[in-house]
Amino acid sequence: MKKRVALLIGCVILTLSLALTGCTPAAPTDTPAEEKPEVVKVGWIGSLTGDQAVWGTCELNTVKMRFEEINEKGGLLGKQFEVIGYDTRGDATEAVNAVRRLTAQDKVIAVLGPNASGQAISISSVLEEMNVADIATVATNPKVTIHDDGGVKPFNFRVCFIDPYQGAVAAGYAYDILGFRKAAVLYDVADDYSQGLTEFFEKYFIERGGEVVAREAFKFGDVDFRPQLSKIKEAGPEIIFMPYYYKEVALSANQARELGIDAVLMGGDGWPSEVLLEMAKDAIEGCYFVNHLDFDDPDVQDFKNAYTAKYNLPVELNGYLAYDAVELLAHAIEKANSFDPVAIRDALETAQVLGITGKINISKDTHNPEGKDAAIIKIEDGAYVFQQKYSAN
Amino acid sequence: MDWFYVKGILILSGINLMAVLGLSLLTGFTGLFSFGHAGFMAIGAYVTAMGTMKLGLPFIPALLLGAAGAAVVSFFIGRLTLNLKGDYFCIATLGFGEAIRLILDNVQYFGGARGWPGLPVVTNLTTVVIVDVIGVVILANIIRSRHGRNFKAIREEEMASQTIGINVFRYKMAALMISAAYAGVAGGMLAHLLGFIQPKMFQFIKSTELTITVIFGGLGSISGSVIGALVLTSLPELLRTFASWRLVVYGAAVVFIMISRPQGLMGGTEITFTNIKKLFSRFFRASGEKAGGGGR
Amino acid sequence: MSVFLQQLINGLSIGSVYALMAVGYSLVYSIMNFSNFAHGGVIMIGSYIGFFAMTAFEIPFATAFCIAALGTGLLAVIIERIAYSPLRRRNAPFLYFIISAMGVSIFLENIIIASPIGPTFRTYPKVFGTTPFIVGGVNIGRLDVMMFVISAVSLMLLIFIIEKTRTGMGIRASAYNLKASALMGVNTDRIILIVFGLGGILAGIAGVLFGMKYTVYPQIGNITLKSFIAAVFGGLGSLPGAVIGSILLGIIETFTSGYLSSQFRDLIAFVLLILILVLRPRGLMGKITEDKA
Repeated sequence: MKKRVALLIGCVILTLSLALTGCTPAAPTDTPAEEKPEVVKVGWIGSLTGDQAVWGTCELNTVKMRFEEINEKGGLLGKQFEVIGYDTRGDATEAVNAVRRLTAQDKVIAVLGPNASGQAISISSVLEEMNVADIATVATNPKVTIHDDGGVKPFNFRVCFIDPYQGAVAAGYAYDILGFRKAAVLYDVADDYSQGLTEFFEKYFIERGGEVVAREAFKFGDVDFRPQLSKIKEAGPEIIFMPYYYKEVALSANQARELGIDAVLMGGDGWPSEVLLEMAKDAIEGCYFVNHLDFDDPDVQDFKNAYTAKYNLPVELNGYLAYDAVELLAHAIEKANSFDPVAIRDALETAQVLGITGKINISKDTHNPEGKDAAIIKIEDGAYVFQQKYSAN
Repeated sequence: MDWFYVKGILILSGINLMAVLGLSLLTGFTGLFSFGHAGFMAIGAYVTAMGTMKLGLPFIPALLLGAAGAAVVSFFIGRLTLNLKGDYFCIATLGFGEAIRLILDNVQYFGGARGWPGLPVVTNLTTVVIVDVIGVVILANIIRSRHGRNFKAIREEEMASQTIGINVFRYKMAALMISAAYAGVAGGMLAHLLGFIQPKMFQFIKSTELTITVIFGGLGSISGSVIGALVLTSLPELLRTFASWRLVVYGAAVVFIMISRPQGLMGGTEITFTNIKKLFSRFFRASGEKAGGGGR
Repeated sequence: MSVFLQQLINGLSIGSVYALMAVGYSLVYSIMNFSNFAHGGVIMIGSYIGFFAMTAFEIPFATAFCIAALGTGLLAVIIERIAYSPLRRRNAPFLYFIISAMGVSIFLENIIIASPIGPTFRTYPKVFGTTPFIVGGVNIGRLDVMMFVISAVSLMLLIFIIEKTRTGMGIRASAYNLKASALMGVNTDRIILIVFGLGGILAGIAGVLFGMKYTVYPQIGNITLKSFIAAVFGGLGSLPGAVIGSILLGIIETFTSGYLSSQFRDLIAFVLLILILVLRPRGLMGKITEDKA
C-alpha cells in the first residue's frame, strides 16, 4: 500500500516537474519582447502545414505584409506592430494550445484566423478566459460566433459570410437567375465546410421548387471522382454543385468533362484561385461560383500585385479575407484608442469598415459582417469575370 | 513561461497520457500494434458527449460511459481481427479507425463532419491528473499481477504461452478492451476540454502519434509512457516558433530516436522480463531519478 | 449497361493506380517483412522530380520520367541506409521499422511544405491530350491507357528481373528466408539495397504517372494508405497478390460508390477487407511465414 501511495506521489511529481522543466527552454523568447515595450503584438493562427497549408501560408503572408505597411506609415496610435503566427496543422487541439500561448505568453492584443470552423469553435473558451478577441478569416460555420442557444460568443468575430448565406446565394442564383431546375451535388463527406454548404444549398434549392437529382460524396484525400460522376451523369442534372476546395474542383471538373458531362458546374468560395485556372481551364469554362469579392476591383488589384511582387506566389482567397481582418482590427484599435484587448473587443462589436471584400458592418448580435453581398463570378475565356453582386432573399 | 499556457500543455499531455497508457498495455506489454486508437478516442468522445448533452449525466459517469462504449466496440473488432498476425492486424485497425470516422462524418445526429459544438468545458488540470493517477495505478496493478506476466508471455512467445495453458485470445482481447477504454476516457476528456468535437480530430495521424509515444517512452514501461506523453506533447510546443519547419524536425527526431535508441527512453523489454518485483522497485527508482534529473 | 461498363473501366483505372503503388510496397515487404510507410513519401518526391524536370528544366517527358525513377531509386536506397539498416543490424522488431518509416514520411512531406517549393498544387504539362477514346458509349481516358501500358511494361520488367536473373534468384531466396540465404552465401545486404532501389524506381514511376493523371502536392503519400490496404487484400509480400488486390479494391470502391452509397464507400470496403481476412488471414495470395514470427 505504501508503495502504491509512493508511486502515486511519484507520478504527480514526475508529471509536474517534467512538464515544467521541459518547457523552460522556450522562455528566453519572450524576454527580448519585454525589453522593447513599444512593439504591440498581434497573433495569427492557422495551417502552415497539413492539407490546408496553401491557404494558411497565404493568410500569414498577407497579415505580415499588411502590418509591415502599417508600420512603415508610422504604425497605429504611435506604436509599431509585430505579428506572431503559429501553425495549427489544421488540428483543433493545436489551435487551442497556440491561442493559449498567444494570449498568455506572448500577450497579443488580438488573434487573427484561423481559417477553419472546427478550430475557431474550439478556441472560444480560451478567448473568453483570457479576454482577447479573435477575428476569424474564412470560418463559415454559424456556430463560430453563436452559441447553441443563440447567444453571441463575446470574443469571436469574423469577416466572411456564413454557410447558410452562401448556400442560399448559390441556390438562389442557380434557380432564379440561371433558371436551372435539376441539380446534383458532389461533396466531401469528411469536410465540415463542404457538408455545411451542401446542406444549405439543398435546403434553399428545394424550397424554391428545384429538384436535387443526385447527391454523391467522396472522402477527403480522394483524387478520383469518376465513380460518383458516372452516377451523377446518369441522373442527368442541369447543374452540378461542387462545394469544396479547388484542387478537388479541378480534378472532378476535368474528370466530369472526360466522362462527357456537359452540365454547368457551380461552387462556393473554395474555388477562387489562379491555380484552378491553371489546372482546369477548359473544364470550368462557363461555370459559376460564389465569391466574397470582385477580382477586378482596383483595390484588389493593388493588393494582388503587391503580394505577388513580394512573395512570388498567387494570392488565395484567404489572403483577401485576412487583409480585411487586419483592416477591421486596425479600425477597432483606432476606434478604441487603446491596445487593451477588451477595449478592442468592445470597438469590434460595432465596427464599420470598408474592406476589399466589401463593406463590413459587424453586428452586435451575431458578430458577423451583416448585409455583405456575395459576388457571382463566371469563368469566361479562361478568366474570372465578375457577373453581379447577389444577395439571397 | 506563463502558467496558463503551461497548464494547457499539461492538460493535453495528461489526456494523451491516458490514451498512451492503454496503448502501452496493448503494444508494450502484449505486443499488438494498433493504428486505430484514434477511432476508440472518437467513440469515447462522442459517447461521453452524448452522456453529458443528451442524457444529462454528470461528467465522471459520462466518462465511464464513454470508456464502456469504446470497450464494447473494441470487443467486436477484436473478435474479428485479433487472430490476425503482425501487419495484417495493423492494417485492420487502420481500416477500423478510418471507418469509425466515416460513420461519424455521416451521422447528422452528432453533427456529422460539421462537428458538435457547445459541450460543457469541464476538463481541467485537477480532473486530468486524478484520472491519470487512477489510470496509472490500475495499469500498474494489472501489470504486477499474474495476468501481467501472462500478457508479457504472449508478447515474447505467443505459441509457447498457448502451450503452457494461457488463453492467448482472451488475454489479447482483455488488452484490447482495456486499451480501448483508456482511449475512450482520453477522448471524453478531450471533448470536454475543447467543448467541441469533430471527426476530423481523430485522424490516422493521431493514432500514429500515440504509437510513436509508446515506443518513444520504451515498450513495456509505464513510467516510459508517462515521460513519453509529456515529452512528445511538449516537444511540438517548444518547436512552435519554427512554424512550418516544426514537423520536419519532428519527423527527423522520430527517425533519430528509432535508430539511436530503439529501446525507447526507459530501456528495453529485457529489464521488465527478468523479474516483476525487481522491475517495480527498479521502475520506481528509475522514474524518481528521472524526475530529479529533469529538475536540474 | 453502358453505365456498368463505364464503372468497370473507372474501377480498373483506379485499381491500376493502387497497383502501381502497391507493387513497390509489396516488394519491400517480401524481403523485410514490414510495411514501408515511407513508400508514399518516395512516390510524392518522384512526382515532384518529374514535374520540375519537365517544367523548370524543360526536359522531354521520357527523359524526365527516367530521371524521376532513378532519383527515387537513389532516395529509397538512402532511406534504407539511414533509417532502416541501423535497425536491421540490431535485429529490431518490425514495429521499430514501421515507426522509423513513419518518421521518414512525416519528414518528406513537411520538407516539401517548408522548403521554397511550398504547399502549392502543381500541374504537369499535358503530354497525352485529354480527349478520351469513346468505345461503345464508354469513355476511356488517354492517360489511363498510357498508364496501363507503362505499368504493365514496368511490372513485366520487374518480374523478368526477379525470375530470370541471378540477382532475382537472390531476391527470391531472401524473400523465402533472409537468414538462410545469408548462410548460403547470398550477399543479403546487397540484395536488400537492390530491392529498395527497385521499390524506389517503381515509386518514381508511380509518382510521375500519378502527378500527370491527378496533380502534384505534398500529401500524395496519404493516398498510399489505400494501396497498403490493397496489398493486404491481395496478401502481403506477394506481387501478383498486390496487383490483384489493388484492382479488386478499385472495382469494389467504384461499384460501392456507383450502386450502393458513395457516403459509406470506405466503410463497405473495410467490412469486405475484414471478411476476406477472417476467411483468409493471409489475404488472397499472402506469403506463408512461419507462425512464430
